[in-house]
Amino acid sequence: MTQRLQLGFVFIIIHMSFGYLLYPKLTYSLTKSGHWGIVLSYGLLQLILIAIYKKGLNYFPQKDMIDIFLTMGRWAAFIFLVPYAINLNALIAMNIRAHAEDIISIFLIRTPYWAVLVLLFLISTYTAIKGLSTILRASAVFFFSINLFVIFVIASSSVNFQLQNALPAWPLSLDFLWNVKFLYLMGFSAILFLGFVPSETNLKFGQLTAAWLYVLFFYLSAVYVPLFIFGQETVTTFVFPMKEAADSVDLSWFVFNRQTLFFGISIIGFNLILNAVKLWMIGQIMQRLFPGRRSKASYWILAFSFISFLFALCVPNKAWIEKLSLMSEGTNVFFTVILPSIIFLYVVFSGRMRSYGET
Amino acid sequence: MERLNLSKLIFALLSLILLCGCWDIKAINERSLPLVMGISKKNDEKYQVTLTLPVTRVKGKTRIITEKGESVSEVLGQLRSNVEDAIDYSQIRLILIDAPLAANHLEWRKMFHYLMSSKDIPSIALVAITDENIEQMFSKMSKQGLSGTALYDFFNKGAGWAPDVSNTRIWEVYQNLFSYTNDIAVPVVHSSEDTILKFKGSAVLKNGKVTANISPSENQLVRLFQHHHFIRNTENLGFATIFVVNSHLKNKPSITNHIPQVASDLFIKISILERDEGVSNSLVIDELEKRIEKRFNDMFKQTQINKTDIFGFGQLFRTRIPYDDLHSWRDKYYPKLIVNFRVHATME
Repeated sequence: MTQRLQLGFVFIIIHMSFGYLLYPKLTYSLTKSGHWGIVLSYGLLQLILIAIYKKGLNYFPQKDMIDIFLTMGRWAAFIFLVPYAINLNALIAMNIRAHAEDIISIFLIRTPYWAVLVLLFLISTYTAIKGLSTILRASAVFFFSINLFVIFVIASSSVNFQLQNALPAWPLSLDFLWNVKFLYLMGFSAILFLGFVPSETNLKFGQLTAAWLYVLFFYLSAVYVPLFIFGQETVTTFVFPMKEAADSVDLSWFVFNRQTLFFGISIIGFNLILNAVKLWMIGQIMQRLFPGRRSKASYWILAFSFISFLFALCVPNKAWIEKLSLMSEGTNVFFTVILPSIIFLYVVFSGRMRSYGET
Repeated sequence: MERLNLSKLIFALLSLILLCGCWDIKAINERSLPLVMGISKKNDEKYQVTLTLPVTRVKGKTRIITEKGESVSEVLGQLRSNVEDAIDYSQIRLILIDAPLAANHLEWRKMFHYLMSSKDIPSIALVAITDENIEQMFSKMSKQGLSGTALYDFFNKGAGWAPDVSNTRIWEVYQNLFSYTNDIAVPVVHSSEDTILKFKGSAVLKNGKVTANISPSENQLVRLFQHHHFIRNTENLGFATIFVVNSHLKNKPSITNHIPQVASDLFIKISILERDEGVSNSLVIDELEKRIEKRFNDMFKQTQINKTDIFGFGQLFRTRIPYDDLHSWRDKYYPKLIVNFRVHATME
């Protein structure tokens, strides 16, 4: 039971990490009014994907996603999982690079970005090598402490709220569903992580829905806090809207006069967990697909994290960060849709549905 | 205990290299922390930035440094290299801009784009406009023996700030550059002989363009509509002086045939501080209501001519006008807006 709770915490943390940086900006570029419509349709579509994924996974109570693909055949596992590992690698690189840029603009103005990258990569690689059990144990501390920070930032920002700025409240149309940017938005998802824990010990669908609602509530606040403060017309000019929102609050009554520090600490915390989880996923995939005496998960993690470090190092500025992160999110969408559907279809066509029902 | 693992020990010692301290952080005693920055642009087409640096070694002493350059960012860079201490701009609390520069619409926009995106300068710094020569103003203040924080304290909520002075921050000015439905007032100050500053009123800005100047008493009305702050102040009616204890504003917007209407009711509670003999309560109340209504109506007419929505009425119509048409609020709808402003005063 405690493990389920911890898995829920990790699930929430890795999604919250996505919400802080580029998620609000994409939402603002998709619509001019009624932003909740976008967040909720995003949430609904993700929930459908989660349902399909869980349905497929549940037929293999003791197996995780990699085992399932291996039972389909080694070639299937190679075709789908190796590209996924590479995509994860790109996601890690771009995610850490974007966060490094944000951290620099908050605390370390004169520090070159490679130094921040080294630090972030070292910590997340170390955590990933220690394995999922360590991440799970750390998750509770992170969850509670960082959520307090987040709530603090939201609450103290409320002094600058002008609720009318978010009006009109109704979406103009549903055209955004066909916008390519909405596809990118769907890439802000780490639901595939669920497949890396056998479903016997994993979260049940009801619990997942509860966790997902929590995440959605947070996404709504990440979109609406800058909107309440600045309004749609202004908010589209920012790269990191939530950071600007946190910056607009005068905390001279407090020990720290900039609440952006809290914001910075929270994003670092979220980000470390997210990247550690992703690196761990890569380690799992590669170790199982290339078994051998010398093939250890930790070696793979080290190698991949070094590659993504080099990749992140090559990205020169904010414009490129945005462009490349969107590209990696776009590919991520492909895998988030394909992998669950394949598992589901495999279950249907291999006739396991019936046999599982009989036993 | 097991034998000490040599490779682990070496690794642990190596990590000390990484833990040797902060990156290139300057120690606090090597830093200069300017609190106030003045920006002006004379006819010679160059920006002039003036900073007041508190001298930490001598208590209460400030020094003033000035530099010229093509842009604000360039000057700040030059100052950083010319001063012996490391200048840390992250504590700037007040930015004074001279009136000719503020009147230049394009320069104003450019400057606030920079101030907002700058990593150093906090977006919560206050903005004020002055008619005077900023360098002379600063040196006059330092001769008066006022401490480095005095200028900032004038606007500081925790110190000497009075509610009739508007305080506008960088992010609010920046927001106004884009907003369709809201305008702002930036305080105008000038130096004085005995107090640190005198509040002269506010400059009204429409998307970064100064369209009017308003007096302190008009500024109170702006604050009332913008922030729903009650005006706690004294008002002299000639035959009596009253004190506004509490106030409460109610706006009811409606729109018919593309003509927007607002029914606005201000409820105030007053107490009479002094009065001439034989003046009744109802006379005071009548006179006060008339006075505030007239002040508002005069001012409102003027803003309609300027097409500047300083009261933020547009915010009330964001749901009532289609979003695609909202950008023409100031030009198309605002001049037609009818505001039915009523003041209801009661005795405490």
